[in-house]
Amino acid sequence: MQAAPAYTAVAARHTLQRPATIPIKPQKVSWSPNVRLYVQRAFEPDNAVQGIDLPAMQDKLKVVITNAAESGQLETIDWSQYPLPQHLIKEDRDRAAVYGAHDPLLTNINVPIMSSPAGGAYSPGLSSKKRKNGDLEMSDAESRDITPPGKRKNTKGGLEDRLTGKNKNQSKKEKKAEAFRARDLGANAEVLEKRRQRFGVVGSPEPSSFVRSRSPSLETPSSGPLIGTCQKLEKSYFRLTAPPFPETVRPLAVLEKALLHIRTKWKQEHNYSYTCDQLKSLRQDLTVQHIKNELTVKTYEVHARIALEKKDLGEYNQCQTQLRALYKLKLGGKQEEFTAYRILYIIFTCNRSDMNNVLADLTPADKQMPAVQHALKVRAALASGNYHKFFRLYRDAPFLGPYLLDMIIDRERLAAMAAICRTYKPDVSLHFLAQELAFNSDDSDGSDADAGPRQCLDFLCHHGGESFIERKEDGDVRFAAGRATAVFEGARAAAFRGIDAKPRK
Amino acid sequence: MSNELDLLWADFATAYNTPDGYLLATTITPEPPKSDPARLHRWQRWTNAYSVQTDLRYKLQYNPNIVLEKKEASTWLDVFTAYYSFAGKLLAAEEAQKAGKRRDADWSAVYEAWKDVMSALYRGYSNNIFAAWTIPCLYIAGKYLRVFAIKADANAASQRDSGLAFGALQEEDAFGAASKNEKLEDAARQINRIFALCLSDRSEVQSSRKWALYYIANLLFKTYFKLNSISLSKNILRSLKASGSDMPPLSAFPKAHQVTFKYYSGVISFLEEDYATAEEFLVSAYEMCNIHATQNLQLILTYLIPTKLLTSHRLPTSTLLQQTPALDRLFSPICTAIKHADLRAFTLALEHGEEEFVKRRIYLTLERGRDIVLRNLFRKVFLAGECEPAVTKEGEAPGPPVRRTRVPVKEFAAALRMAGAEVGDGEGGVDGDEVECLIANGIYKNFMKGYIARERGIVVLSKGGAFPGTGV
Repeated sequence: MQAAPAYTAVAARHTLQRPATIPIKPQKVSWSPNVRLYVQRAFEPDNAVQGIDLPAMQDKLKVVITNAAESGQLETIDWSQYPLPQHLIKEDRDRAAVYGAHDPLLTNINVPIMSSPAGGAYSPGLSSKKRKNGDLEMSDAESRDITPPGKRKNTKGGLEDRLTGKNKNQSKKEKKAEAFRARDLGANAEVLEKRRQRFGVVGSPEPSSFVRSRSPSLETPSSGPLIGTCQKLEKSYFRLTAPPFPETVRPLAVLEKALLHIRTKWKQEHNYSYTCDQLKSLRQDLTVQHIKNELTVKTYEVHARIALEKKDLGEYNQCQTQLRALYKLKLGGKQEEFTAYRILYIIFTCNRSDMNNVLADLTPADKQMPAVQHALKVRAALASGNYHKFFRLYRDAPFLGPYLLDMIIDRERLAAMAAICRTYKPDVSLHFLAQELAFNSDDSDGSDADAGPRQCLDFLCHHGGESFIERKEDGDVRFAAGRATAVFEGARAAAFRGIDAKPRK
Repeated sequence: MSNELDLLWADFATAYNTPDGYLLATTITPEPPKSDPARLHRWQRWTNAYSVQTDLRYKLQYNPNIVLEKKEASTWLDVFTAYYSFAGKLLAAEEAQKAGKRRDADWSAVYEAWKDVMSALYRGYSNNIFAAWTIPCLYIAGKYLRVFAIKADANAASQRDSGLAFGALQEEDAFGAASKNEKLEDAARQINRIFALCLSDRSEVQSSRKWALYYIANLLFKTYFKLNSISLSKNILRSLKASGSDMPPLSAFPKAHQVTFKYYSGVISFLEEDYATAEEFLVSAYEMCNIHATQNLQLILTYLIPTKLLTSHRLPTSTLLQQTPALDRLFSPICTAIKHADLRAFTLALEHGEEEFVKRRIYLTLERGRDIVLRNLFRKVFLAGECEPAVTKEGEAPGPPVRRTRVPVKEFAAALRMAGAEVGDGEGGVDGDEVECLIANGIYKNFMKGYIARERGIVVLSKGGAFPGTGV
């Protein structure tokens, strides 16, 4: 027997570049016919699921089989009943869509390797660029710790680099899964390396597909997607500065009850600050659990309506923005109502570019909805200065439109007065003005028929028109429009100057 | 194998010796020049990742035709190294695209690689290594940054739609400001850096980078318009205005830069409803524009026509419109309707073209054409009135018959009704108040001169010039 040499021969290096590591061929395992059938089924075009392409399915298949192999379940699993990889993918995606794909465990274990989103500070590609070659060695050592001795291999470790290095909070189970998956890729390391060389990426590996290992914000001490456990119906709002603990977050079922509770309380007590506080906390609970469903839509709609009633336009605008995005997800909700509100809101802010955008977004279906049509008519009337039509539309505004229109009615009245003063000589009756400017009182029981004209008088006096009011002998009150031009032109200009926009002329 | 890229090095040398900035820029364009269509592939075959730096150094420093200072050479080394890796990514993406695997085409990587090229170039200028005559290279850098950003964003969007990529970051509310234009926004920031760099050049005017300013500004405008953040464009305008004294005047810049700049300035003013300024810019752009640049002329007219409609209430002639089929389709119906005071046709035309108008952001302006239709309508009513014999003064010859100036409101109402205006009171009659309101608007906006005597139900029009600007 020859004595083993005291050294290990290593080929001398000829360049300064790192030599490509030689990949170890994957262990040959004999697959039972059941497994083979399962694989066949997965590849059958009839079983393909739309939206899931072949590479994704293949990766998932690999994961499933390797998991089974590692856990020794290759023989025990009933492969004829086991769900196909593409179905598993679909399940995961659906689940992720409800809860948001932010959870490390969920994505890492079950979701197949996908290309990174074109954004997000979490893009692992960035971290891989920062890595130097030295890390390859380190991660190999680490991976040696995780993988059971018999299965230790020299892997390319591109994925492991980033995952094991950065994410210290991952549980052991996670790390195992990743190690297995990385090994599969290791088989193709040679191909990858060659490709890399062709494109001149020297050094640090840049795999074209990543697993998104999301870490920071959602990493709570517990594992799994953030599901709250708090059962309290009422909860005050506190701004989050760190990821919340599940004990403080209410789960979906509790949130539904909470919403009902808040609504009842609002109807009874009309305490805005309390209700607003509760609703914001509800919204927060929905957000941190990434719940985007009908309840979310309902919550925002409820809050928006209450904010409108109380003229809290800041809060209303926030809700409106979120609703816009939520409606795009087709979760239902009162789109007609809120599209109309949106149009009216933009009229209020006189934001021309926003208006352009809204008009561009309207679909023909939208334009059929009565409330939206009404809002568009309001816009058209105001754009052409048709105050007469505007005040008619004001009276007929659907839903909570009157609240929004109330915001602009004062300045539109002044605009109308400016035009009226220019046009009518020598004077007009107060009755006419009250009618035109929609000063009729809302209660139609006729008990106070003079309420309208009286409010009109108040309005005129408030803006400096007192001196032009004349009371004639026959009881008729007239307004000397002809002489009041300057006053109301000034008032109008002041009203429109406040919104930092040019008055329509 | 080094003769593969000889054409490129020959161009480079010529460019440096002339000096010719535009020729120099062709050496780093992503699109290969016509004389050398396989240039990008040649790059790949010429060298590889390990030896690209040495090969380039050889070409740049030891080339007898090119004389470069050490710093300049090393900067070009960086540029071409980045360009080399960029070319690889571009080719990969193009191949994937052609092979039909559109989703695999990694335009994001192309964008990032091009950004590296741009950064290398940027360093050349920020350290004052490159002379100002080379600025066409910056033009190329900026232009393609935009192009690749748009491609990358489109790719990302299609990936997101097909469910291959998940989206948003975590925000307090359910949705953050999801950015489907992420790369383009990044490109905007980069081009802005170039802009700032050129703006801050302290050297003399002849050899200053300030000559790039209008081109870069135009790139920024294009980007901001696409991102629909037009307010950012105003910052650019402000910066240019602020440094106006240190810069050569706009008229000294190449015509192409001028026309584009004026066009965008005009559109920005238009969108702010500053129609007077918009008219100035757009008219100037229109007159300076090359007569053969039909696409550009069309763009300018798309905004000039609504502007002129509002400022001078003038309509384009049919000959002008018929020159361009697109413009004809867009504007002719409305213009005809206005000319004939046909309210029904006007409303119809506005509705039909609504989508296109809204897309171009001219809908709200064209809407105001309705005022002109109404004015023309009222004018017709006025002209239809009888002429009364002129009131003769003592001792003077009788003057020509004068049109009556007292027109009953009912006549206006009738005209409106016939024209299809919505002046019904819901019960088959006419809402007189609505009619009066429309007249009031006409008077208020100075389309008509006169007043309404409500008690008597008549409109008293001014004797001389009841309809200013129309000769009546």
